[in-house]
Amino acid sequence: MDLKFVPSICSYCGTGCGVLFEVLDGELVGTLPMKTHPVNHGKLCIKGWNLHEHVNSPLRLKHPLVKTFGRFTKVDWDKAIGVATDRLKAVIAAHGPDSVGILVSAKMTNEENYLAQKFARAVIGTNNVDHCARL
Amino acid sequence: MTNSFDDLESAGCIFAIGTNTTACHPLIATRIYRAKERGARVIVADPRHTQLGDMADLCVHHRLGSDVALLNGMMHWIIENGWHDKDYIAARTEGFEEMAAVLAEYTPRRVEEITGVPAADIEKMAELYATCGPAALLYAMGITQHTTGVDNVKSCCNIALLCGNVGVAGGGVNPLRGQNNVQGACDMGGLPNVFTGYQPVSDPAVVEKFSKAWGRPLSSKPGMTITDMIAAMLDGRIKALYVIGENPKLSDPDWNHLQHALNRLDLLVVQELFLSETAQIADVVLPAASVAEKDGTFTNSERRCSRIHKAIEPVGNALADWEIVCRLSTAMGYPMDYPGGPEQIFDEMAALTPKSYAGMSYARMGLDGLQWPCPSADHPGTPILHTRGCTRGPGKFHAIAYQDPAEMPDEEFPYFLTTGRMFAHFHTGTMTRISRHLDAEQRTGYVTIHPDDAQRLEIAEGDLVAITSRRGQMEAPARISADVPPGNLFLPIHFGENPANMLTSADAFDPLAKIPEFKVSAVRIAKARAA
Amino acid sequence: MTSIQQQVHTWLEEGRVDIFLAYRMVEGHPLPHAFTRERIDETDTLVTGPARYSLEKFATHIASRYPDAKIGMVARDCNQRALNVLQVWNQLKPGQVDTVPVNCCPSLLKPHADCSYLEPKPAGHVKLERGQDPNQSLAQADTLPRAERFDRWMYEFSKCIKCYGCRNICPVCFCKDCSLEHPDLIGTGHLPPDIPIFHLVRAVHMAGRCIDCGLCEDACPAEIPLRLLYRKVNAIVKDLFGYETGSGDTLPPFSILGDKPTMSPQPLLAVSQE
Repeated sequence: MDLKFVPSICSYCGTGCGVLFEVLDGELVGTLPMKTHPVNHGKLCIKGWNLHEHVNSPLRLKHPLVKTFGRFTKVDWDKAIGVATDRLKAVIAAHGPDSVGILVSAKMTNEENYLAQKFARAVIGTNNVDHCARL
Repeated sequence: MTNSFDDLESAGCIFAIGTNTTACHPLIATRIYRAKERGARVIVADPRHTQLGDMADLCVHHRLGSDVALLNGMMHWIIENGWHDKDYIAARTEGFEEMAAVLAEYTPRRVEEITGVPAADIEKMAELYATCGPAALLYAMGITQHTTGVDNVKSCCNIALLCGNVGVAGGGVNPLRGQNNVQGACDMGGLPNVFTGYQPVSDPAVVEKFSKAWGRPLSSKPGMTITDMIAAMLDGRIKALYVIGENPKLSDPDWNHLQHALNRLDLLVVQELFLSETAQIADVVLPAASVAEKDGTFTNSERRCSRIHKAIEPVGNALADWEIVCRLSTAMGYPMDYPGGPEQIFDEMAALTPKSYAGMSYARMGLDGLQWPCPSADHPGTPILHTRGCTRGPGKFHAIAYQDPAEMPDEEFPYFLTTGRMFAHFHTGTMTRISRHLDAEQRTGYVTIHPDDAQRLEIAEGDLVAITSRRGQMEAPARISADVPPGNLFLPIHFGENPANMLTSADAFDPLAKIPEFKVSAVRIAKARAA
Repeated sequence: MTSIQQQVHTWLEEGRVDIFLAYRMVEGHPLPHAFTRERIDETDTLVTGPARYSLEKFATHIASRYPDAKIGMVARDCNQRALNVLQVWNQLKPGQVDTVPVNCCPSLLKPHADCSYLEPKPAGHVKLERGQDPNQSLAQADTLPRAERFDRWMYEFSKCIKCYGCRNICPVCFCKDCSLEHPDLIGTGHLPPDIPIFHLVRAVHMAGRCIDCGLCEDACPAEIPLRLLYRKVNAIVKDLFGYETGSGDTLPPFSILGDKPTMSPQPLLAVSQE
């Protein structure tokens, strides 16, 4: 029997409301507003209150997928990373690093955005980095 | 935002233009409610009638895409009446005379002709904004998603500078960010022309610094924006696309055009929570961890960088995005290894980002976060920007003339179409439509149509309406409401089976910001099928 | 160690409770926390306030998974009333929750307690002119003419952003299917929601149920004085049926749950006099 309340930030709009995830025995059972958070003062909108529902959706992707002959096959991480990077290397070899585009994400963390643009610039060798700020 | 949410509550006037705040930024609407109930004056300008309009002191519905004209009209009247802040203009700005010369033409009468807003209302808006200060201006995508997006934003800045509202408590120019970490993604260099903290890739010193830190030679040639990339995919300059946590197939303009572009790729890698429309056509799909399954930070609209904490283990074999990037990078021959996890990545980033993030650390952030700029470890963060003058020096007025949107209704396509969000769903719906309580609130797409138009076309509530633009055709059930003006339609963007981007244009975008004109298209409509 | 920390430590150690719900300061924020025997040393960090969370609601979540769990919690008066209601409605077994009472009402020992309502924030003048003052008494609210009362409530309801936070935070809202989400009762997909029906449906369901804790009002992004509204329905229940919500171990005089309606006809005279 283990109940935890884990502070976090809502991942819908750009307001950045403080939430608590209610975690019972390692399972995310609810989202509630953090009462003393400086942004939302213990209040949330309909999306924030239901933040845990998308996390728990049975439709979540659980395995890497590789498409062969038009169909997805479940693969392990080594295989997926291998296919992606082999093909990336082939594109770069044939067309140069600026033939690769990378769309980073307004939904992932700062750390992840930093790494993704570092990957584009230092590893691929292109400044073709953008995200959906405009959309 | 130049200012902060707390600060909105001390505004004397709140001017919300192009933001449906109660639906899209509900907890910011709370601050507007509080300010209003305390006595602040509220002005709402939006082509559609929004909930916030109900409680406004003045609510106007300007014609789609006429924002520059509306703002110019307000400024004309402010100068005409001498309500502008002459001391502030003299001390802290430049370019006033040039702007005033352009504004001279924008009499309220002429602006009424362009915007459809009665001249008396324009005069009243100007008076409230200029005389009830400090005035906070709020905007969202209603200002930016236009061919004149940059002009619209500059006009918002113009009026704020004109009345001395930049750098003061309760004032400011406050764009409301649509995605939880769109501010952070920009701050982190998720843009083609800048590294972290907006350090330009074209600056050799900056390139040298990052090159040294990362141990690789780096390109100083600015890259392509999303909008440029789509064109480049079509003509074969882009061959591989790696998409992380985005669904361009539904979020980018002109579905057909984009479909062609994506089909031409040699490789599409998509990193996602769900098998989104874009993931379905990918070659490789990488399952990512959700917000509850990882540590890190997000930066919100008021530049507040806050911690998220891992609450549960990722589902299945999903990995945090940072772990996936590390694995890809290592397999590409550039070992990336962060045994200290996100905190170690944050510290590396902060050390390279001197002006804004350098003073931040996980220990300092706590649960309240810190607002950038936070340049040193003893800096408390910055709730209000530009209090001691603008970053560039004097605040610059821009003389801006009104231009029509790229598409205006004509005989063939007689209706204005605009797109946006509704309160229970988010962006392309990948997260919200599979959430039971959100889906229950709105299960299907819809198109909002004015009762007069519905009556003329014999369209009843729920009838399927066929909507056609120069790009394509789609259908959506009718929702009849006077929230849109006659001759206008509204389509929410959340519903893949009624894709608004079947209709929007990939050719109409702001020349500088490259933001598509999602807010204005010309369409024709017909009843497709009765409900 | 404070005496409460000591008491919780002992209760966990002796097995009087399996889990104890209270608060802990995390980087300056009081957050709810479940203390257990496995991590008994954490009791050193236990605090009782100042924020209020719906601890009894968390207790029902534990009880639904572990029906025999012995649960402890710190309880203010409102927590205790909520526990009474939850037992009446079979969401918790009698005696399943053991409480450590904590200060709530003002006293000589503690001039103000941790309840947000003891230090009311004055309402702004526009709210006083157009809406309902959350700090007024029910008697004061009832002095206004009916039409004006209606207009003021409609102003408050028109701000609603339909977050359902009033229901979600409510310690005594536990239904699996909620009338607020029944599309035949209340339309979906627009803001504001159907008013006043959205708020009145909830108000009706609060009659004989609301324990006047104020969590709903705290959670309301539109700052609608919901506590005042639900006080009104409870006052009617008290006047008509003599039922004091949260005070005893009997079901309220009417119930929309269960096999058969339990509402018994009572003199309608009282209503018309009101």
